[in-house]
Amino acid sequence: MSSETLLSVENLRVVFNTRNGQTVAVENLNFSLNKGEVLGIVGESGSGKSVACYSLLGLIPMPPGKIESGRALFHGQDLLTLPEAEMRNIRASKIAMIFQDPMTCLNPYLRIVDQLTEVLIVHNGLNKQQARLKAIDALVEVGIHNAAERIDQYPHQFSGGMRQRVMIAMALLAEPELLIADEPTTALDVTVQAQILSLIKDLQKKRQLTVIFITHDLGVAAEMADHVLVMEKGRLVEEGDTQHIFKNPTQPYTKKLLNAVLTTAKPATEHTVNRSGSPLLEVKKLHVGFPQYSGALFRRIKNLVKGVTDVSINLYEGEVLGLVGESGSGKSTLGRSIIRLIDSQEGSIVFNGKELSGLNGDNLKNARRDFQMIFQDPYASLNPRMTVFDTLAEPLLVHGLANKTTVLEQVNQLMDDVGLDRRFIRKYPHEFSGGQRQRIAIARAIALKPKLIIADEPVSALDVTIRAQILALLLKLTEKHKLTMLFISHDMSVVRYLCDRVVVMQKGELVEEGATEELFAAPKQPYTQQLLAAIPKL
Amino acid sequence: MFMFIVRRVLQAIPVLFMVALVTFIMIRSAPGGPFDEDRAVPPEVIKNLNERYHLDDPLWKQFLDYISKVVQGDLGPSFKYPSHTVNDLIAAGLPATLELSFYALVFALVTGLTAGIIASLKTNSMQDYIPMSAAMIGICMPTFVLGPILLLIFGVWLGWLPVAGWGQIPGDKILPSITLGSVYAAYIARISRGGMLDILSQDYIRTARAKGLSTTRIVFVHALRGGITPVISFLGPAIAGLLAGSFVVETIFQIPGLGRFYVTAAFNRDYTMILGCTIFFAFLIILFNLLADVMLVWLNPKLRQELEARG
Amino acid sequence: MSEVTHIPELANLEKGRSLTQDALARLRKNRMAMLGLYFLIGLIVIALLTPWIAPYSYEEQNLELGASPPSAQHWLGTDILGRDQLTRIMYGSRISLAVGFIATAVALTIGVLWGAIAGFVGGRVDALMMRIVDALYALPFTIFIILLTVVFGSSLLLLFLAIGAVEWLTMARIVRGQVLAIKKQEYVEAAISMGLSPWRIISRHLIPNVLGPVIVYTTLTIPSVILLESFLSFLGLGIQPPASSWGSLISSGVEVMEEYVWLLFFPGVVLTLTLFSLNFLGDGLRDALDPRASKD
Repeated sequence: MSSETLLSVENLRVVFNTRNGQTVAVENLNFSLNKGEVLGIVGESGSGKSVACYSLLGLIPMPPGKIESGRALFHGQDLLTLPEAEMRNIRASKIAMIFQDPMTCLNPYLRIVDQLTEVLIVHNGLNKQQARLKAIDALVEVGIHNAAERIDQYPHQFSGGMRQRVMIAMALLAEPELLIADEPTTALDVTVQAQILSLIKDLQKKRQLTVIFITHDLGVAAEMADHVLVMEKGRLVEEGDTQHIFKNPTQPYTKKLLNAVLTTAKPATEHTVNRSGSPLLEVKKLHVGFPQYSGALFRRIKNLVKGVTDVSINLYEGEVLGLVGESGSGKSTLGRSIIRLIDSQEGSIVFNGKELSGLNGDNLKNARRDFQMIFQDPYASLNPRMTVFDTLAEPLLVHGLANKTTVLEQVNQLMDDVGLDRRFIRKYPHEFSGGQRQRIAIARAIALKPKLIIADEPVSALDVTIRAQILALLLKLTEKHKLTMLFISHDMSVVRYLCDRVVVMQKGELVEEGATEELFAAPKQPYTQQLLAAIPKL
Repeated sequence: MFMFIVRRVLQAIPVLFMVALVTFIMIRSAPGGPFDEDRAVPPEVIKNLNERYHLDDPLWKQFLDYISKVVQGDLGPSFKYPSHTVNDLIAAGLPATLELSFYALVFALVTGLTAGIIASLKTNSMQDYIPMSAAMIGICMPTFVLGPILLLIFGVWLGWLPVAGWGQIPGDKILPSITLGSVYAAYIARISRGGMLDILSQDYIRTARAKGLSTTRIVFVHALRGGITPVISFLGPAIAGLLAGSFVVETIFQIPGLGRFYVTAAFNRDYTMILGCTIFFAFLIILFNLLADVMLVWLNPKLRQELEARG
Repeated sequence: MSEVTHIPELANLEKGRSLTQDALARLRKNRMAMLGLYFLIGLIVIALLTPWIAPYSYEEQNLELGASPPSAQHWLGTDILGRDQLTRIMYGSRISLAVGFIATAVALTIGVLWGAIAGFVGGRVDALMMRIVDALYALPFTIFIILLTVVFGSSLLLLFLAIGAVEWLTMARIVRGQVLAIKKQEYVEAAISMGLSPWRIISRHLIPNVLGPVIVYTTLTIPSVILLESFLSFLGLGIQPPASSWGSLISSGVEVMEEYVWLLFFPGVVLTLTLFSLNFLGDGLRDALDPRASKD
């Protein structure tokens, strides 16, 4: 590896002028990048890591964005003052980018071939036929089978992982010197994520690429980068050699980030789960499908798309059961059908000795007092037009667990339980951050002191440090209130932190089940092994 | 795609039937008949006329007779002008109306799309504010206010353009077309601006910029197809509106088109003419809605392939 | 809608800003929308008070005077029969605005009920109801209204009903779309899983969140209704003389515009300004209530 400097950024300051005044997105950022090096930029949302890189290529919207000061020397040329026409010659041919969400980053109206070849036609002056051949080679290189045929298809005919491969092929077509990868695996399933990471790594080695890898995930940074920058609120907090920084962090924020990476198992609990009696929840041979409609004038049910096939699980009182699988594995469908938000077609759900699957009307309403749900998206799970007090008081008053004189005290206790300030109970959801909203949602779920809580990916929409706080809160609450919980997640490390037992789902079926530590020590199914291998290691 | 069109055409038949039925019932329940004149007509004459037009038959029979003729493309004789069939009258008025609507639509599309696209590329600048303010005026200014004003300014005061007629004096088609088209130009400008802004904020436009493409290429190759989709869905209603608007414009500029015939027929209670025109207008509107839908599907690869897969 | 008011201790706590308050604050900053609002309020007040404040009677003729340009006695001039134009425009406003508001109310009632039922019930009922709306969309409604007015004579009541019956379609679509979107929101699922009664879910969780788009669309329906009425009156199919609406005033103004241009100009200006105000207010409300704007 040569030590020739490819890019050096000095005193970069980027601001956004919004209706509510100016916000500084990047403040006094300095770094340099050697040829052939992989630089990781790590930070949470709002840390300015993406804005900094986008401003190098002139890709931030201006206005409202504005580069106030700084230089970014690339081959001795200042990128920040380059006129638009010259900048276009840098983009893709010298510095290329791949983005976070492959589902939205390819143009749905154009064939893959047109999107790939235009890079070569515009930058390298190739004709259509030459460009097509090169594009097919590029698709083969990123591991797309039948590339010669698939190149004529549209983006919607590719899966998420495949689209990200297409994006990578497109970025590398014009043989750039520097590749900027902005969270390229965040939107992908964990097993696909591992494949894409190793693809980028292979290509980097093969082509001696220089890479800037932007990520919020320290594990991913550790795996990919030689050198790491840690950013917080627009500022560079710490930088250094990857191994060194992760072993000896000096700054409190870096330590906080590192602590948020879950490497520990669930601590031994004081209460033990009694699995000899009958389970609190017993799901037997459950089948759930979604009807597909057809017909020109009147809708007929054409067929059922399978959601959950022949699943049986038991959940004992005081137990936290992890339900793991990737998107489309049917784990959320299972969770929702247990509490009858979705109807099942076959099988039985026995809860607390009562069959749920046939219940209707008032019987169902009364049964619902005993189970509650925590949702993934704290922005969608709270009614935007109700104050925190109204949200929390509603279930208490409706079910007669409180009257007008006691309700305030009970709501206040809920606020204490989830670590929110009592003073905020007259505020509305949009006045809180994502983590605070998830606390409100948790408070609502425990308000009725339910026998069972179903938590559907409650932390996957949150930043890493917030995630760690919410998980700690959930762990504390399960201990304090002896909650029984079905915890749905795609993330094995989260499950390990919180759950006593784990079931693994794939394509609507149950593939493996076991006590958490046993399953982690000796996974039997290849799918489980894949999921475990996908956990990034520090 | 073919099956999609067939399905839509099949769906249109009951709609047209309902149009015919409702119109028929409405006209027949109206007080006063087509032969009510100022002077008294001898009862025998009315009887003869009624017999001739089968007005004495039971209503359901009249309706069935009528429908069976319509299916064969015969809209019957006009009550008011017995020497003419409704087909003849429609054929006489249609060319002017269609031509007027077509020029108006072309005017609306050219000015509307140009203004909308430019405004979307230069948001919050003068190139955005000026066309968008003009569009707001265009939407709020009714055709029957704009028409007379244009006529007064360019026809009477300045004397640049003819004030009436259609195809007799060179330039007499300009004012009516602009009058009819301006509201739709305004709508199209607003809709295309919104559509383009939506698309321009998409991730794949950022990808296109990161590829080092020129603005022209980004706008015309990557953004335009998605950006004008809402304009195309607006075309169906727009054409319905153009046909209705032609009533006013044809009245103001004294154009012998279908719209004027219809209004006259409505005043005269010319049953067969009203029925025929209504069915014909409904047919036109359904046809253009269908065309717009086909274009929407054709422009969207995902929809197109789903349809092809379903056959 | 808050239950907070019953609990005195709560009153001392810091109050949050609801989305409605935020939206109103944004609306207040929108100068054009506020101008529109003030104009409309002024217009409505004048229209309501017309019988008492109008300078002349609306059918009082002065054939000797004939058509005269604006003067100190007749601020907006007189028509061919020597009737005061300001008075006639004021009376016209009563009819045009009444048609605008009442027909919109009719459209609102039908549309909200239809859309809400389709959205709530879902399944086959929804499919059938929306098929009907789709089919009705394809009809030449302007032509139907002309037909209606010709057949049954043009009474005000008929105008209300006919126009209202046409304009409900879009409202039904909007309401159904909103209901479906909100039904899928997780806070509604949370409310269901808490065992709340359907009525409580509808009144506390659904309606408050559907209200915004309905208000916006209502504001934008009023101008199109007023326009439709003027259009009919212009063709001579709407309001019959001696009563006047803006449309019929413009119609008679057009006939004599070469000699007496003020007879076209003033009613045209009032109509256009009203449409302007309603559209700006509707646009302003939409911007103010747009969830995308309130998210950041």
